[in-house]
Amino acid sequence: MRDGRIEEILGLPPPDNVLSQGQQPPTPTINSVGEALLPPYQVYTVARHIVTLPLLRVLTSSEDPLKLRRFLTSSRWFDLLHMDASDNTGSLKEMVETVGQNGGPAAENCSALEGVLPAEMLRIKQQMSNQCFEMAVQLNAGKGKRSCSTSEAERELPNFVSELERAKGVHFNSTLVLHRLQMWHAIGEKMKQAGPDAAVLKTVSDRCMALCSQIKQLQIENRNLQNEITEIQKQRLEIKRLTHEKMKEMEGLMSSKEHPEKYNAVLEKGLSNLEKYKKMTIVTQNVLRGILLACKVNWLDDPTLRETVMTLEEFPISE
Amino acid sequence: MSLLNPFNKRPGLNTATVLLVENEEQFQQSLANVLVEETAVTVNVRLAKTLPIPMKNDESRPRIDLVVFIINLTLDKSVKSAKASLKYLDPGYFLGKVCFMVTNARQALGCTGRLDAVRQLAVSLHCPLLFAEDQTPEGVTSSARRLLTILKVASGLVPNTTALYLSNLTRCAMPPDIDQPSFD
Repeated sequence: MRDGRIEEILGLPPPDNVLSQGQQPPTPTINSVGEALLPPYQVYTVARHIVTLPLLRVLTSSEDPLKLRRFLTSSRWFDLLHMDASDNTGSLKEMVETVGQNGGPAAENCSALEGVLPAEMLRIKQQMSNQCFEMAVQLNAGKGKRSCSTSEAERELPNFVSELERAKGVHFNSTLVLHRLQMWHAIGEKMKQAGPDAAVLKTVSDRCMALCSQIKQLQIENRNLQNEITEIQKQRLEIKRLTHEKMKEMEGLMSSKEHPEKYNAVLEKGLSNLEKYKKMTIVTQNVLRGILLACKVNWLDDPTLRETVMTLEEFPISE
Repeated sequence: MSLLNPFNKRPGLNTATVLLVENEEQFQQSLANVLVEETAVTVNVRLAKTLPIPMKNDESRPRIDLVVFIINLTLDKSVKSAKASLKYLDPGYFLGKVCFMVTNARQALGCTGRLDAVRQLAVSLHCPLLFAEDQTPEGVTSSARRLLTILKVASGLVPNTTALYLSNLTRCAMPPDIDQPSFD
């Protein structure tokens, strides 16, 4: 018996009365892989590998539940996805062949699976497909090798990870949409049957629709308000920026007023220039006045001369 | 003497196997006791002092999904033995099936060189680095819980997640050097 053989290697006696998984008490032993060969550390004595064929295939093909259970306990591991790898298919094929020849284990093994529900089986099937996927990835990793340095790989890694996450997001959303569609289709079908539940279903679905449209309205409102808030924040930032610039200008001016050192030299030069030209003008005006007085020129009659003489009055005589 | 290979055996049904490698052989015992109490999944725990492990019972040994190196930071020998054991692992393990667990980090605060060395090792191998507290039962329980999360993913029991994907999320990163000038 295959199962007995495995347990002998492990050093545990084959059980006479196998309880279901949930009821078996743990028999812990520690395996310290060193000098001593102790039996492995396990919770359940279900050390025999209970591996299964693809559950879908089994579920569709065998109607008899007892046969199903026998199948599940005796059949060997088989890949759900095709595995083209040469290292595994050889041994797998011969194992699949021995399944048919295997007369089935003793009846005691069937009781081990009494607690298995369909949900449990689906969960295990999902696990198996995940494990197969991992193995398939590992096998395909060797193919299509291209040489690149580790730094290049490091640089590309975040891109790949983000792409993966994006794909996961899309997949999740699509699955969600699919479930929703399926559910509504099922509800629609049920309502068409016009049974006693139909009226209840109709009221519930009407309420759902009303709530959904309300939600949509609120979401639109929310979005508009958010946009307005964003606009106002933008304006605020703009004003803040302008204020900041004006403050800087003011500070520049204040500092230049308090520290006019740079302008002092220029200012003095300008003032001295002004003084010089002022003196020149006064001297010229005095000379003109003297000439007019000395020659007894009649300046009242000539309009241009009169204007010139009027401007002489601007600067006082002695300066 | 062959390397431990992650994919040369068939996985068990609803089973996860972890190998705890520790030179001192103290923490692995208590950790193993807690790990085995998990009910949703059948957890097999194998203990080892160093790698390579002898080939005598290779037939009966199930496929090892996660290799955990337990390093005691107060002992130099621990770090050295862990480094030496790394050579005996198939490179396929380093895609998310190796984990470093470090104990006594608080006592080793004085000599940060060892912690930095271990961190550097974890960063270069792209493996997660867990800090564990092994003196109290709560510490053991919490580190076992963390390990169990990684173990479940590494054995492929979590749908839509593989060990390689998780390794991208749990990789250890070197903290930036404090002496370096910060960006202003």
